Amino acid sequence: MLPAVQVEHLSKRYASAFSKQVVQALDEVDLRVMPGEIFGLLGPNGAGKTTLVKILLSIVRATGGTATLYGIPARRAQARRRIGYLPENHQFPDFFTAEQMLDVYGRMAGVSADDRQRRIPALLETVRMMQWRHTKIRKFSKGMMQRLGLAQALLNDADLILLDEPTDGVDPVGRREIRDVLVDLRDAGKTIFLNSHLLSEVEQVCTRVAILNQGRLIRDGSIAELTAVDKVYEVVSTPIPEALLTTLSSQIRLLDGAATENAPLHRYQVTAADRRTLNALLDRLRNDGVLLEAVRPVRQSLEDYFIEVVTESV
Amino acid sequence: MRLAAIIVLTFRELWAKKIVIGLFVISTLVWVMLAFALNLDIVEGSLAGLRIFGQEPMTVDPETNEPIPQIFTLENVVIQVERAVAAIAYWAGILLALFATSSLLPSLLAKGRVDLLLSKPIHRAGLLTGHLIGVLLVMVILAIYLFGMVWLVMSVKSGIWKFHFFMGMGIVVCMFGVMYSVVTLLGVTTRSAPLALIVTYGLIIASLIFTGKDQLVPQINPPWRQVFLGFYHALPNFGEVTVTVLKLTGNEAVTTWYPFLSSMLFGAVLFATAFFFFNRRDF
Repeated sequence: MLPAVQVEHLSKRYASAFSKQVVQALDEVDLRVMPGEIFGLLGPNGAGKTTLVKILLSIVRATGGTATLYGIPARRAQARRRIGYLPENHQFPDFFTAEQMLDVYGRMAGVSADDRQRRIPALLETVRMMQWRHTKIRKFSKGMMQRLGLAQALLNDADLILLDEPTDGVDPVGRREIRDVLVDLRDAGKTIFLNSHLLSEVEQVCTRVAILNQGRLIRDGSIAELTAVDKVYEVVSTPIPEALLTTLSSQIRLLDGAATENAPLHRYQVTAADRRTLNALLDRLRNDGVLLEAVRPVRQSLEDYFIEVVTESV
Repeated sequence: MRLAAIIVLTFRELWAKKIVIGLFVISTLVWVMLAFALNLDIVEGSLAGLRIFGQEPMTVDPETNEPIPQIFTLENVVIQVERAVAAIAYWAGILLALFATSSLLPSLLAKGRVDLLLSKPIHRAGLLTGHLIGVLLVMVILAIYLFGMVWLVMSVKSGIWKFHFFMGMGIVVCMFGVMYSVVTLLGVTTRSAPLALIVTYGLIIASLIFTGKDQLVPQINPPWRQVFLGFYHALPNFGEVTVTVLKLTGNEAVTTWYPFLSSMLFGAVLFATAFFFFNRRDF
């Protein structure tokens, strides 16, 4: 299966004609997004996220490396046939009504008249903009513009949808609705490439994320993999005898308040250098009559993880 | 379909900015004024009397220094009126049209807007071509309206149905295109409408100096003479082309096409340069 997005050794250097200042926006980035994934690209401001998306759409030209969309070089217009895009801070001609704008941009995307007639009302309904379909865009709020922008990105029934800060300026209810749309799209087999600062949002919808910092890809993986804390586990069990807990105090710590004989289950944090040590520790607990209910690796929030790796990489 | 969408977008923008309406109203005023202000009394195909706003055009008798009625032939009246309209359309029309359209391309290329357009499966060249076709199409429609209505009014009033007036219209539209190439190149490279307009108007004003080339060149010493001639050949000869417009409108033989052709070449080079930069630049 061809990757929806594939970039290899992708670099972009901005050099001003009037000064000697050179900015390395992307530095040898390798990335692959497979069809059906909801992929989140994270990074602090100026990390190169928007540059990467713009290279995929040929809005910006790479200075090195390759970028392909479904196997077609991103520079070719043909590569953009299966793409829907919502840019950050997008501007639509404000003299159009919502419906007129979708019609003109749909024509540009190559959507047939019949499909436009069918899809425009349906999409306006999806993004809760149907009642404003005859209203001029200049009267829309930021949140309404984002919803309309999302409808525009979905108009050509694209296989790959690139969204740059799609919930920017949208209220919490609207954010939830946009998130639901993204989940529906995922369920429909679409590939979504999401650029967002809202990490909690990315955490809720994305299956995989990559983190860019200063133009370099510093992490890439599933959220579960990335947020798992090395060597720390949560163990749910019957109470560990006080004597044993004292003996193993460097490895086991009670999480859920003071232990009482009556409490059926307790939560403990267990630190083990490797899998073998963990199992040996669990065997010892079981030998002392402790019954295990669950053992799971401790995860940190995506936000904590993001801050940690970005700070580390500076 | 995609090219048509960009043409529609350009047309809608011109319409929304009331540019088309403004130029349409001005054109209407011109032909309506001619229809009502110009009275021709024609007897057996000849001009028996002429009144403009109810007044007979007068001239001064060189011998007595007394005002006397000016004598015109019917054909002469038609030619002079059409020449006046062509000259107004050439100068005022093009200056107004450039003013009205100079912000279109920078606004199309504004951040947040150009991204959306470039993300569509359209070649960059197609995008710029669509925009240019849209602008030129609107100007052609407006020119046909103005020249057509004036021609109709004059033909009905005079009974003279000649088509050479439309030759002048072709030059007006072409020269608008030449000057719009400056707006396009600067729009693509700087995205600044005021700069594009200032430079374009500057070139038009500079071209007035070139109209006196034959008198000026013998008085300029080398190497400045070569510099002057270099500019003359390289830059658009907007001022000199006025003569071409007037001659064509008056059904006279054009003595030299050089100013027009060199201007067209200038426009072609600038459009090609604009396409080159538009294809290469990052947005």
